[in-house]
Amino acid sequence: MSQIQSDPSTHNNLRPAFMTPQKLLPVEKCTLGCPILDCCMGGGIPCNSITEIVAESGSGKTQLCLQLSLRAQLPPFLGGLSASSLYLYTEFPFPTRRLHQLSSALQCQYPQIFVSNYDPCDGIFLQSVNTADQLLDIMPQVESFLENSKTLLPVRVIVIDSMAALFRAEFENTASDLIRRSSLFFKISGKLKEFAKRFNLVVLVTNQVMDVVDSGEGVNEVRIGNLSGMYSSGRRVCPALGLSWANCVNSRLFLSKDEYESGLVGGGESGFLSRETRRRLHVVFAPHLPDLSCEFVIRREGVVGVNR
Amino acid sequence: MDGLDGSNAILQQEQEQQSLNPKDWIAVDPQNAWDLLHEERSLMTRLTTSCADLDDILGGGISCKQVTEIGGVPGIGKTQLGIQLAVNVQMPSYCGGLGGKAIYIDTEGSFMGERAQEIAEACVEDISEYKRFLHKDSQACQGEIQGKDVLENIYFFRICSYTEQIALINYLEEFISDHKDVKIVIIDSVAFHFRQGFEDLALRTRILGEMALKLVKLAKMCNLAVVLLNQVTTRYMEGSFQLSFSLGDSWSRCCTNRIILYWNRNERYAYIDKSPYLRPAAAPYSVTGRGIRNSAPHCKRSKLI
Repeated sequence: MSQIQSDPSTHNNLRPAFMTPQKLLPVEKCTLGCPILDCCMGGGIPCNSITEIVAESGSGKTQLCLQLSLRAQLPPFLGGLSASSLYLYTEFPFPTRRLHQLSSALQCQYPQIFVSNYDPCDGIFLQSVNTADQLLDIMPQVESFLENSKTLLPVRVIVIDSMAALFRAEFENTASDLIRRSSLFFKISGKLKEFAKRFNLVVLVTNQVMDVVDSGEGVNEVRIGNLSGMYSSGRRVCPALGLSWANCVNSRLFLSKDEYESGLVGGGESGFLSRETRRRLHVVFAPHLPDLSCEFVIRREGVVGVNR
Repeated sequence: MDGLDGSNAILQQEQEQQSLNPKDWIAVDPQNAWDLLHEERSLMTRLTTSCADLDDILGGGISCKQVTEIGGVPGIGKTQLGIQLAVNVQMPSYCGGLGGKAIYIDTEGSFMGERAQEIAEACVEDISEYKRFLHKDSQACQGEIQGKDVLENIYFFRICSYTEQIALINYLEEFISDHKDVKIVIIDSVAFHFRQGFEDLALRTRILGEMALKLVKLAKMCNLAVVLLNQVTTRYMEGSFQLSFSLGDSWSRCCTNRIILYWNRNERYAYIDKSPYLRPAAAPYSVTGRGIRNSAPHCKRSKLI
């Protein structure tokens, strides 16, 4: 009933309003904090849409989420949204030290924006979530937080890091549990999309990967998106949560990492093999983006794209 | 379960509105086979998909007066095809369009204004090139459509719940009677809001059935194409997991035509799964910066010839 009462104009008069796509232009986007990454994303992470980052642990998912939450506070002429963020985290402990590190790097970069007593960390609101049901339960609180935010900057970013962790434990591999699970996916996604539209939010969620065990003619394998196979750390992987969840996001990005031997350092018999990690960001699917990818590195001051 | 109360309320509302005269519920008056054949030949206008191979197997394109369901995995190009059709419908008939406007119902938030603009501009460019090819001497192309005009001619609805979706479908007939130049209705996607935990599956089936019936009727009466984009799910059948359209079998019976989009190695393919007139056939297509086009190797081949 709540849905019907929430918007009486739509339901009682049966006169839904239309608009022309012209009104959707330009699409507001939030910078990732690096021109190369932004270029790969067509200008940044779009508002009014759910964007998912898929990667194995240690690939830089959380780093990108933190970076976006901080950069969202920048004014629009610097690629931000002049907005604060709500960060829902599932994995403990929350990387407070890394956040402070990135935050001070940002302060150093834009001293004129972040004047002495303003700490960018103050624009990130944290909330821990343990299960999918709990996430659904706090949605009304999230809504009222978005509606009457007393924050300095309006909240226009929601990060969920990570979605896969919410579904990890309590679901068995039985038909009834799978149905319950996928219906939860659609409920969560439906709510997030509704908020994204009403408040013009960036919604960024992360997802983990699973190893593909039966490679080749695996019956369970359904190709989704641009990549014919996802490889990370030399293993064939696929996004967790399956096909149902893939239907719930608007865009999907994949971060891959690969270690390779870059040659002998030191020379002679005392030389040792140096190993280098190459990381790439791939657009798996997105309604507004072509099949693109770019290389990036993780530095002290954040995630930065590189041209090679 | 608040969802159930909501849908019951909608159903009651609908039942009150329904006229008791069964004649209103029959989409068309009785026709004989000769009439049908005649109608098929003269009125079956087609809307191009901008991919010649796909148009070929579709007998010229998406058919008017019918409901066509298109499904595939995320990222296969459903939304891209939807946007392409919303643009193409505005093209003059000699370019494969219908010279009309489009209604785009976005339930998932995947419609991107900037992407629509890209496709529209490419389409406008193609048309002016075609015109120049037709009339080599006359450079002055009058009444030329601009990319931004194309966007102005798409009536865009963003839907955030299934109650809104039902309400909008009920309102469409009235809306179209006020906007008679609408030639296509695209719903992207029909399934999304109906997959959010309907405990009463019988109720869901009933609501969907009524929705489908209204769309079939609308397509016939208003002489327009209805394109429903649908998600796919894996279903356990005969000992293995297979892809099937979401929302179940009873729903898919309501759609006249059904096209499945899928990956075949590194190429996208469209397959006609169900059609009263067409043979089952598959054709490759590609999603380019300019929109839906022929698959790349085929382009090369035709250039060589």
